[in-house]
Amino acid sequence: LIRGKEIPLFKPISLVAFAGLVMSHVQAEEFSIQVGSPVATQSYSAKSAAFAFRTRGCADPSSVEAGGTAEGLVGGKRQTIRLAKVSSPSAGTFAVFREWPNEGVWVANITARCAGATAGALVAVGPNGFLRESSKFFARPATGAEVEALLKTLAARPGDIGGATK
Amino acid sequence: MFAWHVSGQLAAYADRQLDAQDVSRTERHLHGCGRCRRELEQVRFGIAALDDLPLAKAPDAIWLSLEAALDRPQPVLPGARVRTWRLAWVAAALFIAGAVGVLWRLNREPQVQWDVTRLEGSPRIGSRTLTAAGHVGPGDSIETDGTSRLHVKVGTIGSVDVAAETRIRIVNTSPSEHRLALSSGEIYAKISAPPRIFFVDTPAGTAIDLGCEYRLQCDRAGSGLLRVFTGWVSYERNGRESLVPAGAVCVTRAPHGPGTPYFENASAAFTSALGEFDFGTRSPEALGTLIQESRVRDTLTLWHLLSRVSASDRPKVFERMAALSPPPAGVTRDRILALEAPALEQWKQELAWTW
Repeated sequence: LIRGKEIPLFKPISLVAFAGLVMSHVQAEEFSIQVGSPVATQSYSAKSAAFAFRTRGCADPSSVEAGGTAEGLVGGKRQTIRLAKVSSPSAGTFAVFREWPNEGVWVANITARCAGATAGALVAVGPNGFLRESSKFFARPATGAEVEALLKTLAARPGDIGGATK
Repeated sequence: MFAWHVSGQLAAYADRQLDAQDVSRTERHLHGCGRCRRELEQVRFGIAALDDLPLAKAPDAIWLSLEAALDRPQPVLPGARVRTWRLAWVAAALFIAGAVGVLWRLNREPQVQWDVTRLEGSPRIGSRTLTAAGHVGPGDSIETDGTSRLHVKVGTIGSVDVAAETRIRIVNTSPSEHRLALSSGEIYAKISAPPRIFFVDTPAGTAIDLGCEYRLQCDRAGSGLLRVFTGWVSYERNGRESLVPAGAVCVTRAPHGPGTPYFENASAAFTSALGEFDFGTRSPEALGTLIQESRVRDTLTLWHLLSRVSASDRPKVFERMAALSPPPAGVTRDRILALEAPALEQWKQELAWTW
């Protein structure tokens, strides 16, 4: 092959590859949080967790950083507990263990980050697990107002929390 | 994950020779791979069989005759050559049997005693009445009447509460397998151990702990209910497996064995149709109702039905599941309809996030 002949061939291939790369990023799944039963982690060590969550749309799940707080309304008084008992059975998958009391209504406020992207979730939790239907998901951390609103909703329907999924 | 299996690791896993990382990887795979779980069962069965073999000593006469035969000058005659070979085979067989026996004896797992505590009434262990606390081991039977209950500490892995009107027998208390037989009644098990260490044999099948907390009821004929609170239980009979996750139940009926697991908050029409499908005439109407009434969470039931319906009905189940929760990339309609185990497993792992 003559070097001069290679260049014209190389350019279109590069352009196609570049376009493919751009398209793959455009079509890539948005970074988000999905909540589920601890059984979904496929890890027996997570079985006693209150709930589990995983992130989606992160090219390198092992780089995901996640954390959160339990936000409660107990006897009309607001409480916040930093969630320390969070395990990661596999990359991008997390099990959240109960650290909040039985009394009152509680919401786990979860935030996850991956390569500059952030996702948030408010997971309604109770003595029997979590309430999938009442949980909220965001493409950013949940705001204080959203936490308060969900707590108020749950406090108005205490029966829902008693029948939480687990 | 499904391109490889852990067959080569199973003997070491059963023998607790793997390091923590390999144990974790093997357990993750075992949790989702029926084939490897069955292989592990076979490995454990082999170990248990070896464990039960007595160490037999060869009679002195055999060794004397062997030595005499070997010392004797051997004329090269056709008949004598045959006898020599026979003796060599006998000697080799005896040597191998002896060596294997010694190895079995050396590797024999200790059978430990489990602590039992009376909770209420006068439970019986064999012919003795338990007044406060005691111990049970393999072969012991426990019986409670209508007013008695007791608590069994299952080695170091958990506990079993034995309800009133229950009969159980302790089968195995070795570190690699904790097994009891529930003849009738109800137990509540809370186990914290790697999957497939704790087993409960019932007339309906075997409940295998995959890391869980559950309540198991069964009558003498095999009818009853399994209700799982945390983790998973695999209820198995004759090669058929019902995987029951936390929040789900599994009904058993004599003589069918375990039915298809379902979530109790499914619609009444759904559960009724499932009873008809599992233990009735399997009418087309029952399957139609199951498909029509199913929610996202009921894909637990539909996933099991994929391998339980006829090939002609399987596409209907697949289409409904795909509409409720599409299969992940690489899991195609054809692979599911062909019941390819890795594809089924991959889809199940995705579906589990909705259960």
